[in-house]
Amino acid sequence: MLPLTGGLYLGWALGANDAANVFGTAVASRIITFRKASILCAIFIILGAAFQGEAGIHTLSGLSKQSHMPTLLVVSLSAAITVTLMTIMRLPISASQATVGSIAGVGLATGSMQWGGLVKVIICWVASPIGALIIACIIYKLLAAFIRYTPMSVLTRDKILWGGLIIVGIYGSYALGANSSANATGIFSGQFPGISDKELALFGGISIALGVLTYSKRVMMAVGKGIMPLDAFTALVTVSAMAITVHIFAFIGVPVSTSQATVGAIIGIGLIRGAHSIKFRSLRNIGFGWLLTPIIALVLSSSAYAIFCLAKPTL
Amino acid sequence: MLFISKQKEIQSQISEYCASVIKCMDTFQDAVKLYCDNSDRKAAKASFAEVHKAESRADDIRREIEVLMYSKSLFPESRGDIMGLLETMDRVPNQAESSIRMIWNQYVTIPEQHVDEVLNLVDVCCRAAYAMVESAEKLFSDFTNAAVAVGKVDELESEGDRIEASLIEKIFSEKSNNISTIVFRDFIKCVVQISDRAENVGDRIRIIVAKRAI
Repeated sequence: MLPLTGGLYLGWALGANDAANVFGTAVASRIITFRKASILCAIFIILGAAFQGEAGIHTLSGLSKQSHMPTLLVVSLSAAITVTLMTIMRLPISASQATVGSIAGVGLATGSMQWGGLVKVIICWVASPIGALIIACIIYKLLAAFIRYTPMSVLTRDKILWGGLIIVGIYGSYALGANSSANATGIFSGQFPGISDKELALFGGISIALGVLTYSKRVMMAVGKGIMPLDAFTALVTVSAMAITVHIFAFIGVPVSTSQATVGAIIGIGLIRGAHSIKFRSLRNIGFGWLLTPIIALVLSSSAYAIFCLAKPTL
Repeated sequence: MLFISKQKEIQSQISEYCASVIKCMDTFQDAVKLYCDNSDRKAAKASFAEVHKAESRADDIRREIEVLMYSKSLFPESRGDIMGLLETMDRVPNQAESSIRMIWNQYVTIPEQHVDEVLNLVDVCCRAAYAMVESAEKLFSDFTNAAVAVGKVDELESEGDRIEASLIEKIFSEKSNNISTIVFRDFIKCVVQISDRAENVGDRIRIIVAKRAI
């Protein structure tokens, strides 16, 4: 069970960081308390993982067939260390990129890489922010037209937006669980007798939920200082677009980053509102994170694998 | 559903508050008219008391709304904006009452030759207050058009300033300058502040709408 701890740590870190993408604005704006938001988020992450997390497990486990426990330990620890490093460097993390990077590192070292699966995953990484951008533009236009052309009280308007933010936060939590649980436990598919992929997804979801409950407050409160300050309207559009995008990729079975989907959505809003509202420095950091995460994970896992092989040539 | 009923309760209280502000301005206009027609203090006393009563009623409703907003779950942003709006709106009936109190306490005499202009100034200030109420009510029915109604408040405020300047110039151009002239000048300044305060409310409404602009 030791290798599983690396995966569970990864899930915990993912939960601590990604909860801000679904409930950050609502908590920072005191629409909902952190306690209520984190409990709702945790519950729906677990539900998402339990009902729809299995597809991602199949994809990640199919990237490179590894059956040795030390190899799995290398993969899970490399991904966990990468996430920790990125957090220390204050770059946005992507657990899915860290996991896939680590799998690819060992896959390359052992020559067992399934290139078709990797290409599919990379296409999805590129497609997720673009998809979120397009979805955000569509939601923005529809919601803006509804608010502009429907005579309503300022209280009704606030109720629609802030109340909507809680609803899409719940949906986003579900999508997060469905999409990202595989990052934590996907590589362990078929490794533990008696534990099905569905149960592995559930474990992954629980580890993400624990991250949300124990360590997500600081990140949630810091939300809005990133690429563009979010008001209720832009936050609703952003979280909706992110949640829909991530949920679509959960159906496809490829774990993608909620942070990158969020970035795509915010850029979409920035394009409609004018580029001046986007903080390009934050955007550059996100770009660095996007490129660095899989590379660091790949280098770490292949190096660690080489060290293991030197220490134990029979591996 | 629970939230909708709470919101309706708050909106109905705000409508009641707006009606009380209009009532206060109506009684204020009637009281000044009565005083101009007959400057007997005793005869005017009852109408002055009416203004005070209407202003107190508006105050009471505002306090009830504030308590209601803290006890009912409104979103923090809406709560802050509406509280600020009501506080600013409340200064309008307060100013009307101050003007009436000034007439009573400082024995203001309105010279016969300036009665029409004073009544005109009071009328403009009251219309500015009505326009303010109209735009505030728009916030609770069709908020995107609330800022349009504020334009009327601005126009009336400028009109009030123009009448004030002309009136003050006239009273000081007359030879019989004495303490009554100074008190009369202060009274005019006091009245014109009604439209200034209505304009402040208009500015706040603009900010509320701008904050929610898409």
